Amino acid sequence: MTRWKPIWVFAVACLAGLAACGDRDSDVGGPISRRPEPVEMVLLEDGQPDRAVLADQQVVRRGNGEEPATLDPHLAIGVPAAHILRDLFEGLTSESADGDVIPGVALRWNISRDARTYTFYLRRDLTWSNGDPLKAEDFVYSLRRAADPATAANAARMLLPILNAREVLAGELPVEELGVSLLDEYSLQITLTGPTPYFLGLLTNPIAYPVNRRNIEEFGEQFSRPGNLVSNGAYVLSDWVPRVEVVLEKNPAFREADRTIVERVHYYPVEDHSTEVKAFRAGEIDWTNEVPNNQFRWLQKNYPDELVVSPWMGSYFLGFNLTREPFIDNPSLRMALVLAIDRQILADKVAQFGEQPSFSLVPPGMDGYVPFVPEYADWTQEERNHEARRLFEQAGYSEERPLRVEIRYNTSENHKKMALAVASMWKQVLGVNTTLVNEEFRVFLQNREQKVVTQVFRAGWVSDYNDPYSFLELFRTGHGRNDYGYSNSTFDALLDEIGTERVRARRERLMFEAERVLMIDNVIVPIYTYVTKRLVSRQLRGWQNNVMDHHQTRHMFKLRLRGDPAAEPAAPEQPDEPVSAEEPPQAAAEEPAPEGEPEGQEP
Amino acid sequence: MKQEGILRHAATRLLGLIPTLLVLITIAFFLIRVAPGGPFDSEKALPPEIRANLDAKYHLDEPLLQQYFRYLGQIISGDFGPSFQYKDWSVNELIAQGFPVSATLGGLAMLLAFVIGSLVGIAAALRQNSAADYSIMGVAMLGISIPNFVVAPLLILGVAVYAGWLPAGGWDWSWQRMVLPVVTLALPVIAYIARLMRGSMIEVLHSNFIRTARAKGLPERVVIRRHALKPAILPVISYMGPATAALITGSVVIERIYSIPGLGSYFVQGALNRDYTLVMGVVVFYGVVIIVLNFIVDLLYAWLNPRIRYDETQ
Amino acid sequence: MALLEVSGLEVRFDTPEGVVKAVNGMDFEVGEGETLAIVGESGAGKSQLVMAIMGLLAENGSASGVALFDGEDLMQMKPRELRGIRGRRIAMIFQDPMTSLNPYLTIEKQMIEVAMHHQGLARDEARAHAVEMLRAVRIPDPEERIRQYPHEYSGGMRQRVMIAIGLLCEPELLIADEPSTALDVTVQAQITELVGRLREQTRMSIILITHDLAAVAEVSDRIIVMYAGQMVETGTVDDIFYRPQHPYTRGLLASVPRLDRVSDDELQAIPGNPPNLLELPSGCPFRDRCSEATEGCRQPPPLWQGEGGRASRCVLPMDGGQIVAAEAVGEDGA
Repeated sequence: MTRWKPIWVFAVACLAGLAACGDRDSDVGGPISRRPEPVEMVLLEDGQPDRAVLADQQVVRRGNGEEPATLDPHLAIGVPAAHILRDLFEGLTSESADGDVIPGVALRWNISRDARTYTFYLRRDLTWSNGDPLKAEDFVYSLRRAADPATAANAARMLLPILNAREVLAGELPVEELGVSLLDEYSLQITLTGPTPYFLGLLTNPIAYPVNRRNIEEFGEQFSRPGNLVSNGAYVLSDWVPRVEVVLEKNPAFREADRTIVERVHYYPVEDHSTEVKAFRAGEIDWTNEVPNNQFRWLQKNYPDELVVSPWMGSYFLGFNLTREPFIDNPSLRMALVLAIDRQILADKVAQFGEQPSFSLVPPGMDGYVPFVPEYADWTQEERNHEARRLFEQAGYSEERPLRVEIRYNTSENHKKMALAVASMWKQVLGVNTTLVNEEFRVFLQNREQKVVTQVFRAGWVSDYNDPYSFLELFRTGHGRNDYGYSNSTFDALLDEIGTERVRARRERLMFEAERVLMIDNVIVPIYTYVTKRLVSRQLRGWQNNVMDHHQTRHMFKLRLRGDPAAEPAAPEQPDEPVSAEEPPQAAAEEPAPEGEPEGQEP
Repeated sequence: MKQEGILRHAATRLLGLIPTLLVLITIAFFLIRVAPGGPFDSEKALPPEIRANLDAKYHLDEPLLQQYFRYLGQIISGDFGPSFQYKDWSVNELIAQGFPVSATLGGLAMLLAFVIGSLVGIAAALRQNSAADYSIMGVAMLGISIPNFVVAPLLILGVAVYAGWLPAGGWDWSWQRMVLPVVTLALPVIAYIARLMRGSMIEVLHSNFIRTARAKGLPERVVIRRHALKPAILPVISYMGPATAALITGSVVIERIYSIPGLGSYFVQGALNRDYTLVMGVVVFYGVVIIVLNFIVDLLYAWLNPRIRYDETQ
Repeated sequence: MALLEVSGLEVRFDTPEGVVKAVNGMDFEVGEGETLAIVGESGAGKSQLVMAIMGLLAENGSASGVALFDGEDLMQMKPRELRGIRGRRIAMIFQDPMTSLNPYLTIEKQMIEVAMHHQGLARDEARAHAVEMLRAVRIPDPEERIRQYPHEYSGGMRQRVMIAIGLLCEPELLIADEPSTALDVTVQAQITELVGRLREQTRMSIILITHDLAAVAEVSDRIIVMYAGQMVETGTVDDIFYRPQHPYTRGLLASVPRLDRVSDDELQAIPGNPPNLLELPSGCPFRDRCSEATEGCRQPPPLWQGEGGRASRCVLPMDGGQIVAAEAVGEDGA
């Protein structure tokens, strides 16, 4: 019977295909054999694209990972919801395409000398999507709502730098006591507990977005539904079918509506990475949220222009449980294990997507901070292995008395591959016998937190805001995610100092020092720093890589395709001729826009 | 008289559903609570103040038994409560949105599987031990043994990516988006039904009353259609209840691969996220669906089989 | 001319174990209005013999020989022609009335389909005819009962229904394969009586197949005794009952309770089992069980024929008979 197999698989597939053969939407992109080419991009002096190169249909379809949990900006958790909310709302501050903090609703702001008081001056002519004027009191209302215990906002932890936020969240003080005060119709003041250089960046997060009071009072918990939701960003919510799509339409009331090119954006929840790639290949989406980890080579070969890999502000590392054997009070052993892995191989062969091997906690590129790099980073792996063996013996282990250790991770193919590779390096260099234990995510988290059964465990951190402090604070004594049981008074004192230091250079030095202390204590096994990886249609431009991986649709636009009949409305039908890659890149010049010269174009 | 019997039987069965559901609710409620971790655990730790606010909002700070009775009270009024994870929607709304999709997919797949599987099975039975029979059954074996998650990507690659005939995934209630998932779901069921149908048809064809029918000089097609079909289809009918339930409730893999907003993914996501209300809602709802489907099949079976009567003596 | 003339009929079954020789050269006739009983133990090939004639053998069975029905060879007929005869001109009643009716259809459906198909009657006419037939086989309240399903009938009633179905088209030949075997004794008598009455009331020919010699005594004209797929003895009822020639026939008679015997002590079954039809022994297939067997039985026994179709297949001579199958003993050289 076995010999039938391939034939029948094929036959069944063909039959199903034939049965399914029918007409389809003409805007569905072609199969890979005849991928359309976009025209050459032409930018005008103001940085906006020449209208002649733009596609008629400015509709962007973005794969967006999982279903967004909620579109209530204050309750939202998770990356998928944040992507959508950045299009729907705008905070006091905003972000440029490359991730810099820029003025948003606030046109300008003053920071007091002690760096604890921020005064924001709002643009005066802004309105909500329902026509209501957008004023300072909206922000006071919204920040209080976000901190209100009754709201029970998960992300309210990001508001903790604000004065009294902790007490308000704990219900010890009324929300009115939150350090946010209205100065006049268009200005407000936010008081902080200490200098927080990343505070302006924090304000770009959904938790700090304004919500429309009238909107919430009218619809209650259902205010974030399509048809109800009033927003102030570049887009408004047009439709939302759970697990099908979220559709946003351009908000004509947005302050930069005339510079917003994309008219409509569809966010598709596509959980399965390979399905997402297939949808991209079939031309159904312009932008994937992810690509499967095992397809790097294939994608690099077949979609070199579409595959976008860029550093991300996250680190992948393993953690030691410092409260139990064998790692309690055994820095030599921990150091040996840190040294005995070849990070280059792990990054290149296991992670594969251009992740950078890492010897420290904080990824590079975080707001100008240069991470601490230990001495052994410059050694050869041979030297590191040599030192590792020495330390291993010093810790009392040997071939005769080998170390037995567990690596625990949450169930995932990638974590497993990484754990296997690490285990084999430890085995090879030190003769360590490693057992792999995988657990369902929440079981794993609970075990990490309880610090009873864990020895070495998968850890990692992706920051919410562009500041190294977000990495360092995880290791403070008593922090909710300090699953390492790390407690070092020097380190904690440094963190306290960082919290009050308002001179940027000094603060950076303190953070560097804190990271050094942490790395010398060998609390973690750094492995690599994250990258974002996705496929983006060559038609879709205007966005830029940034470590935050924040990409607002309002910065994007879609290029016209070469030979797109929409460009020549006179010609009824274009023969379906593939454009050869060798064709000189003057296509834009050769095909002038039919509606005449757009203003400002320089020949 | 027989009608009355069936009605009475139906009423009894529907009443019997209540204790079954109560047991189901109780077991599911405590099982999901026993699972380690909670709905608000994440890699980003929550400050205790915020955690307390969340627990209070969702009554997780109450004693478990009190939560249980609160939940029972809710369910009796037909309210599954708010989803912990999908905060903008109630569990009722999520089910109301997901179930029609799952039911449509599962129903269409079952219909397709039933029609094709039966026809193929009958065709094979009538040509028993011929080359055609062997090849049909060979393909059927294959259909059973190749898992969905292998078939689905192949179909997407062939039909959507390379040929471009149909969309690769997503959902908008158009037939184009239903074809691939329905076919994928139906394939193993077609194969199973074909085998079942073939077996039972062969058995029926060997029975005495078929011999009688033939001895009456009836044309073979009449013998098959009038005399053999009904008894041969009975095993298929009794398989259809659990199979339809499985298709409707168990298409998680298909839903994921084709990005379909069915109920199955809610169940899995709910369980992974410890979204207690969502998991409970889906479990209870599935429970009802499965019981009702089996019940329908029982009725269908009784209607087809005159020897089964529902009267007081049973 | 006889209504049915069978000659040289053989039936083989291909099984995984080998070829089963179920019927090994049967020759007989059934005259118009005549009732022929075919008697033998189960496995003697009686049923397969008539199945072959009806073209109802299982898929692994094959038949050869000639079976002339009203001058036409049933064995050579196309399935379609054969279907025109089955149910209309030759009807058949089966051994097990409990399973021979379709449990999923009402008696009405199972009856009227025959009348509608063969006689082209309209539904109402067919139904009236069916009711009439049920009445004829003494089903009480046939108007009501015709709407019922087989499981609402007792075994005897079901067999009556089977007979009624068989009679619907007034067939020329009725084949009844152990019509009463599966029923309890009183019902058996009723069915036997019914068959006897039909035989008197109609000009129908009947082939009655049974393992029970006693049951056929009153209702048949002639008897064929079969053993291992062969005729071993044939003759009138009187011949068989009062002048049995073959030891097997005598054995069968000995196992039948009879009014002219004093006690049941003498009632005894034939010892041993019928031969394995996969490997028929050469010579007389009965010899291992035969109390009168001799060395000569290792050779195929001769066929003796006498007056009025009387015949016996045995080394023992038949009264007033002559050997017709000389070659059978030729090897013997005796």
